[in-house]
Amino acid sequence: MPDKSSDLVQGTLDMLVLKTLALEPMHGYGISVRIEQMSKRVFRPNAGSLFLAIQRLERDGLIDGEWKPTENNRRAKYYVLTQKGRKRLSSETQEWGRQAAAIARILEAS
Amino acid sequence: MSLLRNIRTGLRSLFRRKQVDRELDEELCAYLEMQAAEKIREGMSRKEAVRAVRLERGSLDGAKEIVRSGGWESVVDTLWRDLLFAVRMLRRNPGSTAAVVIALALGIGLNATVFSFVNALLLRPPTGVKAPEQLREIWIHNPRDSGAQGYLPLTYPDYLYYYRDHSKSFQGILAYDGDPHLVIWNRSGEGQTVLGQLVSGNFFSLLGVNAVLGRTISAEDDQPASPQPVVVLGYGFWRRHLGSDSTILGKTLMLNGVNYSVIGVAPPGFTGLLVGFEPDFWAPTAVVEQITRDKGRLSNWHGHWLIAIGRLKPGASTSGARAEASVLEHQIEKDHPDLERNLDATVFPATLIPAPYRIYVSAFTGLLMAVFGFVLLIACANVASFLLARATGRTREMAVRSALGAGRGRLIQQMLVESTLLSSLAGLLGLILAYCTAPLLLALKPASLPITLSLPIDWRVLVFTVIVSMICGVAFGLTPALRSAKVQLASNLKDETQPAGFRKSRLRSLLMAGEVATCTVLLVCATLCVRSLRNASSINPGFNTQHVIAATLDPGSLGYSDAQVRNFYEQLSEHVRALPGVTAVSFTNHLPLGPAREHTLVTDAMRLGDKKDWQPIDRLRVSPGYFQTMGIPLLRGRDFNSSETEAGASVAIVNETLAQRLWKNQDPLGRRMNFIYEEKGAAEVIGVVPTGKYRTLGEDSVPVVFLPQIGARRTLVARTSGDPATLLGSVRREIHSVDPNIAPTDLETMQQYMSLPLFPARTLGLLLGVSGLLALVLTTIGLFGVISYIVSQRTHEIGVRVALGARRSDILNLVVRHGLFLTVVGLVVGLGMAFGAAQLVSSLLYGVTPTDPTTFIAVATVLCVVTVLACYLPARRAMRVDPMIALRYE
Repeated sequence: MPDKSSDLVQGTLDMLVLKTLALEPMHGYGISVRIEQMSKRVFRPNAGSLFLAIQRLERDGLIDGEWKPTENNRRAKYYVLTQKGRKRLSSETQEWGRQAAAIARILEAS
Repeated sequence: MSLLRNIRTGLRSLFRRKQVDRELDEELCAYLEMQAAEKIREGMSRKEAVRAVRLERGSLDGAKEIVRSGGWESVVDTLWRDLLFAVRMLRRNPGSTAAVVIALALGIGLNATVFSFVNALLLRPPTGVKAPEQLREIWIHNPRDSGAQGYLPLTYPDYLYYYRDHSKSFQGILAYDGDPHLVIWNRSGEGQTVLGQLVSGNFFSLLGVNAVLGRTISAEDDQPASPQPVVVLGYGFWRRHLGSDSTILGKTLMLNGVNYSVIGVAPPGFTGLLVGFEPDFWAPTAVVEQITRDKGRLSNWHGHWLIAIGRLKPGASTSGARAEASVLEHQIEKDHPDLERNLDATVFPATLIPAPYRIYVSAFTGLLMAVFGFVLLIACANVASFLLARATGRTREMAVRSALGAGRGRLIQQMLVESTLLSSLAGLLGLILAYCTAPLLLALKPASLPITLSLPIDWRVLVFTVIVSMICGVAFGLTPALRSAKVQLASNLKDETQPAGFRKSRLRSLLMAGEVATCTVLLVCATLCVRSLRNASSINPGFNTQHVIAATLDPGSLGYSDAQVRNFYEQLSEHVRALPGVTAVSFTNHLPLGPAREHTLVTDAMRLGDKKDWQPIDRLRVSPGYFQTMGIPLLRGRDFNSSETEAGASVAIVNETLAQRLWKNQDPLGRRMNFIYEEKGAAEVIGVVPTGKYRTLGEDSVPVVFLPQIGARRTLVARTSGDPATLLGSVRREIHSVDPNIAPTDLETMQQYMSLPLFPARTLGLLLGVSGLLALVLTTIGLFGVISYIVSQRTHEIGVRVALGARRSDILNLVVRHGLFLTVVGLVVGLGMAFGAAQLVSSLLYGVTPTDPTTFIAVATVLCVVTVLACYLPARRAMRVDPMIALRYE
């Protein structure tokens, strides 16, 4: 089965998760769907790497988890961006923009 | 912040594993269900939807495993489980586990023992001293001389006028006499020898050492004009000999005929700054002339006797201190050009061995470390080969694990945990071994050496042992681990008997051959050393070592006049001669082969002007009867007589070497010789004795002259017809009855005395012998293991052979041939390496060439014989293989 998340540049999944949560608190599946939607079905992270990223972010204190009922009356763990996470997102976005522009310049040059 | 949080979450999942697991389960379930729900909305049946989700996302357990292995706690967790599993595995085969652990423990333990010596001699700072890392030794250095000869301690004027008060890098510079002083303590009429050290007035204060009782030596005590000389007692001496008498302060001790008042007792554990030397008392350097009866020592610009140690100021650098020491030395030369010193000065970090001698100690201990390192290597090869065998036996287990999803990394980790567990157990046992054997090694030193050495198992030895154990664990565990992680699932899971032959066990065979090679190197070196030791013991020192005793006496240290000294020796000589069994008594200024030496230059009186003819020689001074007592025959001429001794007659007895050098092939009797640079420097030759050994047992012929005049310090030699050991007690009694103030030092039989010159060779020979034997035993066990393993793996094949008509002798041949093949390959490599290694130890060999063919052949033969023996037991098992049983497994 093709796993498109492997096409993600190393480390960018964390950034995408943070970006998704910047819009609104979300549970794991929600994050996955949102990333898929926003990328127009280019990226589809699998459960393993997604939860690994979520766990890593939670440990680093960039997001906080909280159990809440969903709209279908199930329990799910919702994640919220912390203050620190917001800062990290903005710094990583900037850095990403800088790098992407640089790479683009190199590719155009040839 | 996030680190703390990380640790907290990690600990939570470690210790509240169930709850964390449940939460993770619930979260992932919710995830899957939501996804399924969406698929259903899109029009799939529920069953299909769940299936699709599972397919798409991989199994739930896989995801859980990935998430779980993300945090650090999972590493701890799997390690812990691997450890429990490893303990179970090892307990399942207690026999082989014990064998492996013991083999390794021997290797690690002996290395730890040697290291505890390295630690005690070279690494450990002086105990009981404040901030020893700031201390630096200052040495005068002669750049033209290499080795220890190039370094000199300070003279008293150097220290007093230059170094002590003129350094900016040091908070202060202390000095002490590097030579221990054996001093006679007159204890209410009875003489007893005690060891003292002379120290500068700032010695204790600069080291930060405070007295447990009274006070320490101060700068005022260290004045030559000080009216009442003082001493500080060593704690051990105070307890042993004075019964911890707390009223000792202010009392006096009579040392070498002078009263010293006790001002304090040093704290327990403080034994000064020199290794192996525990002073009974400390006295100020200013009393040196009274203690040694050496007038003018304090003003002598040529007598280098003070080891100087400075404490660096905070922030000062060693290189700055070195530059400063050099400047001070050059200042001395500028102020005193008449000294013609042309020297430099340098500084070293201070340890318990004075810097110039460290290199010798390092070389010796380094050699030992290398030897025992080889033994450890052999032990490791054994363990590796054992683990390889087990790994082969466990291929099925590994295949099952890997089929169940264990990654290659996990399999390797599990194997490594097992091997490091083994090596840790061995390390622990090794430490216990080191703790027991280190004092045994110390017992090798001759009793006459006044050396005390404590060999604590401190943190440095612990760290060393842990590191060595870990390296061993990883080194011998890695290959088997990599091997077993490389499993081929399909073939291993089917119940296939593994065909095992030469090729299948290639790695183990290689290990074995390497082991044999290492063992060969060790055995060759050990045999060479042991043979040379036997040669050395049988080297004729030129005098009879049986039936002779010696005792060193020094009435001069009590301030006796020449007449009193002569009177004492005359009486003593009569008393000892009257003892039953004693056949001859005489005196010498010092025994040959000892540390004391007197050099001079001589030439024939007629050719005084010819400098090329000046002979550097050794000079010994002896009383009449010395040659008879020592069993040295007079080749020509006659012995001294007592009137010549008293009159100070200018007569001399020479050894053959000197006679040859001065008067080649001519009659030396009646010739006159001149001592260059000496006032009463001429003597007539009245006798010739054969050349013996004077400096070392290994020396070539040394020219020696014997003169009849001796000073106050003499060594009594007495010859007995009976057992010399029984004479020791009565000689001590006679000395006491002649003069109770005088106590003999080094009262021993000549055989005990000879253990000193033989000490280095004997120690090395013993240690090498032990390591060689150990290597042989370990290699035999290893060979036995490998051959047994190969036989058990080939049972099936052997069964077929027997069924097809192979005779028992064919089977025997098959097994032994394989073992011998391994040994011969190892031998060829090993003998080549031993050839090189023997060159390294050649300087220590007496009367054996490093390429001694007998040794090489003997070692090769022994190894082959041992191989055949090691093969015999497994071969017998192979011969008994019943083809019916062996083939039934088909």
